[in-house]
Amino acid sequence: MTDSELHPYVEWIAREASRPVITDQAARDRVMAAVRAEPLPRSYFGLWGRLVRPRPVSLSPVAGALLAAGLVGIGVLAGTVTHNRDGQSTVGQPRAAVASRLPVSDTVVRFVYVAPQASKVYVVGDFNGWDTTKTPLMRSATGGVWTVDLPLTAGRHTYAFVVDGSWSTDPYAPLAPDDGFGHANSVKLVRRGTSL
Amino acid sequence: MIHASLLRRLRISTLGAGVLVASAISASAQDTNPLAKLEPGGNRFVIELLMDSATAAGLPSRPLLSKALEGISKKADGKRIVEAVRKRLLFLRTARGVLGPVDDEELSAGAALLEAGAKPAQLELFRPRRKGHNDLEAFIVWADFLQRNVPSEEAYSAITKLWVDGADDETFRSLWTNVQSDISQGLNPGTALQNRIRETPGRASPVPVKPPEG
Repeated sequence: MTDSELHPYVEWIAREASRPVITDQAARDRVMAAVRAEPLPRSYFGLWGRLVRPRPVSLSPVAGALLAAGLVGIGVLAGTVTHNRDGQSTVGQPRAAVASRLPVSDTVVRFVYVAPQASKVYVVGDFNGWDTTKTPLMRSATGGVWTVDLPLTAGRHTYAFVVDGSWSTDPYAPLAPDDGFGHANSVKLVRRGTSL
Repeated sequence: MIHASLLRRLRISTLGAGVLVASAISASAQDTNPLAKLEPGGNRFVIELLMDSATAAGLPSRPLLSKALEGISKKADGKRIVEAVRKRLLFLRTARGVLGPVDDEELSAGAALLEAGAKPAQLELFRPRRKGHNDLEAFIVWADFLQRNVPSEEAYSAITKLWVDGADDETFRSLWTNVQSDISQGLNPGTALQNRIRETPGRASPVPVKPPEG
């Protein structure tokens, strides 16, 4: 004995529900006309709607990796600009205080070295991070005089020349104290708008 | 099926992004740390500690960084670089104690002068500042004389005489030029300075002279 035999109405309801609904053409036209007459929901198809509507996004592995790297790059840049050259954080410091500590390179200083036999001369000092290949001097047309003009901040600068790989002081500048590394240095005092 | 493919893509993307993030962080750390040429830990750590100590004591850390970079550039070994940086910090601290609240440039020049062999007691004379004037030029010329083996007391006497007389930068500079020229021609450094200081015109003394103690 089944439930349907116990409840004859169940069979009737099922039969009625599975019977196709037959409507006439005029009724269908009326329903469709009413639907078309309704205005479109603006928020759904507007700019905001398009931005907030969830949708599937397909991303290739390479595109995903590039996107991640880009985000990391932005983070690294943000980290760089919030630290000064001493590596100290500038976050939370007043802008004026940070700006006032920025060096002003408004004085152009000429470095001269006389070495007729040299093939390469560099100036190396606290102004270029003691980089032995960063600041080459140019040989003059006459041959033996090497020069370079550099914008330097006002103040005391310690430096030396590297002539064909050998360290040398500037014979036209005062000597700095013993460097502790076995090579002497020279000193240049730069004043705003002038230099020694 | 679609689910498995999506997971696989996600795993590959995550792996690729991880590799890029690691390399970007590593490259960034190398670019921004000027001491990157020193081995991490050990000497580099000590130098960073010394720089932190300087900052905590209100001293500039840039001269210490510059000294470390100079050592790296001159291919000195790590221990020697640490020693040079430590020495500079000591002189900066002494110069601050002697000169008081001067700007970083003058403090560095004072420290360099102590490094050249001047005594803290000699530097004390320069503590009363002349308004609107710094003593960079005097310190640089004095340190140069000591480097050229002018006897310490004679160098001190000559510089303080000019300073007390109110000499300007140009006077210190021309004294240096003349003495350096005489020494390069073979004259004894002490004699060269004595001769030249006698030629230098004196002025009214704006600061009372006090002999250094010790």
